[in-house]
Amino acid sequence: MHLGRRFFTHFLLLFAICFLFCGAAAAHAVLMESTPALKSTVSGPDVPIKLRFNVRIDGSRSRLTLVAPNGSMQTLEISQPAGPDTLSAQAKGLTPGEYRLRWQVLASDGHITRGEIPFTLKQP
Amino acid sequence: MARLLQVFGFLSVLFRGATLAFQSLAVGGVVFLNAVLRRTGEESNALRDACLRWIGRAAAALAAMQLAYVLANSLILMQSADMPLREVGGANFVVAGAIGIVSALLMVVLARAGKSVSPAIFLLPAAAIVASTVMTSHAMARLEYRAPLVTFTALHQAATAAWLGGLPYLLIVIRRVANPDLARQLSARFSQLALVSVAVLACAGLVLSYAYVGSVSAVYGTSYGAMVATKVLLFGLLLFLGALNFQLVRRGPSSSILASLKRFGEAEIGIGITVILTAASLTSLPPAADLTQDRVTRAEIAARMAPRAPRLASPTMKELPEDIYAAMGKAFEVGPLSTESFVPGQAGTRPNTPAEKAWSEYNHHWAGIVVVAIGLLAILAQAANLSWARNWPLIFLGLALFLFLRSDPEVWPLGPNGFWVTFADPEVLLHRVFVLLVIGLAVFEWRVQTGRASSPRVPLVFPMLVAVAGALLLTHSHALGNIKEEVLAELSHIPLAILAVAAGWSRWLELRLPPENRARGAMARLWPVCILLIGVVLLNYREM
Repeated sequence: MHLGRRFFTHFLLLFAICFLFCGAAAAHAVLMESTPALKSTVSGPDVPIKLRFNVRIDGSRSRLTLVAPNGSMQTLEISQPAGPDTLSAQAKGLTPGEYRLRWQVLASDGHITRGEIPFTLKQP
Repeated sequence: MARLLQVFGFLSVLFRGATLAFQSLAVGGVVFLNAVLRRTGEESNALRDACLRWIGRAAAALAAMQLAYVLANSLILMQSADMPLREVGGANFVVAGAIGIVSALLMVVLARAGKSVSPAIFLLPAAAIVASTVMTSHAMARLEYRAPLVTFTALHQAATAAWLGGLPYLLIVIRRVANPDLARQLSARFSQLALVSVAVLACAGLVLSYAYVGSVSAVYGTSYGAMVATKVLLFGLLLFLGALNFQLVRRGPSSSILASLKRFGEAEIGIGITVILTAASLTSLPPAADLTQDRVTRAEIAARMAPRAPRLASPTMKELPEDIYAAMGKAFEVGPLSTESFVPGQAGTRPNTPAEKAWSEYNHHWAGIVVVAIGLLAILAQAANLSWARNWPLIFLGLALFLFLRSDPEVWPLGPNGFWVTFADPEVLLHRVFVLLVIGLAVFEWRVQTGRASSPRVPLVFPMLVAVAGALLLTHSHALGNIKEEVLAELSHIPLAILAVAAGWSRWLELRLPPENRARGAMARLWPVCILLIGVVLLNYREM
């Protein structure tokens, strides 16, 4: 009788069952503040964009996309970050209307989060 | 694409959890080999072989899970950011994963080589495995005090593996060892290792809690803080069992030492798994210290938890949103958008409508009535020895049917979404698994209570399923933002989970402890009370 082995098999099975349904991932980046701010109104046509997160992020593997009032999407070029927790870019030549800034970041701990910031652009 | 991301997002979570579990087993085995199983004479070779076999298996499973995790996460990144594979290759999680995979495979090779390899050599891949996990921890991404936090996280994880991951190996060797003196010697040695590990674990945990929680108001005001408090409570329960073991090894009557030791060890492993799950759950949340806005206040908790009459009337199906999935998607597209973060594949969060909340409260309250009845009958069957009361497990079948019909009204059989949606939505799938667990509880425990079960293993199904249900509740999905409703829901789930864990393992110990152990009687009285209390907590469950 290999009771130890049998017990261990049950134990491994329990491990597998528990982890199969656990809601765990790993730490995710949370947006702390942004320019433009959520649902704010800014002046155009050029809009500086800056997003600050609660953790270090991998800027080269993060993405910023601007959704225009007509639904067209433009990937923004991410500029040299001001800090390890910041994403910066510049949106140029925008026309007035309702925009949505979509962000996706890869945190230094290896986890991806995304979100959306709606803002309104008015004539300067 | 959204569905693909959702499936891979869920798989990524699964692989991450499994990676943490197998890491504890592999590293715990290596520490056990070096600190406990040294210089034990003739008999040690067979014991060492047994441990090496399991270290090898745990390491192989770790490598496979780590590989699957890296692949799933890479695919999510490639698909969601339209990124080429070569660019993904340099990401921190890929590098960390590669280190983990290579180290785990090295451990498999060393374990296969067996006796020709010094146990000390295994410490190198074990350290690399811990390092690879620390590379993807909260500490690595912090902006301040990164180096000390990385150090304390590594210590915390290594000590957890040495204690909780080493415990199964102790049970394996004391089951195999023929000489009782050697078994006692090994147990004493493991107790010393456990004491040191617990001290390191607690000190590192204190520092990390201070850094990530930061204040008393964050303990009850955020999901992260509440989960840390739960972890501390379960840790206290483990220490209590550990202290009983320690006393047994030092002063217990020799006739019952080994039997009791094994049984307490089994309960410790089970609660240990729950603690690891809670820890895994914590890593899915942003640290409380980062969320200073919208914390739940004491007044809000008191208002939510204040006793009120149960809701015994349900809203109709027509009052619920027509198609909840479509409503969620629509809310994200055009609704009150926020800076709230979410993971790829996860829909934007939509506040539940009053009808949905009432629906959920009605479900919880009827479930509470059923569970209170089960608890009372179990107490009655035990205290007054009434044979008809022993049929109490059958009530669980009614509960299973109730949960199946009402837990997810948007999905088959009541809702417009078909049966297969069950497998695509992790939350619905989780609810359906709970239904299966409840049916399992009913069938197995009814056979036990009415003397129909012949196998000595069948009585263990009930405590195991109750304890697993408690552990699952602690790993229920969490919102990333500091949404008050999520925190309040978390606070109502935590007592249920702790009571379920206590009920499951006290019943286990009642069944498994030798008759001469005095703790057995106390355990027998404890679990029906825990079940009754679960019913009472459910009766006062509120969402508004």
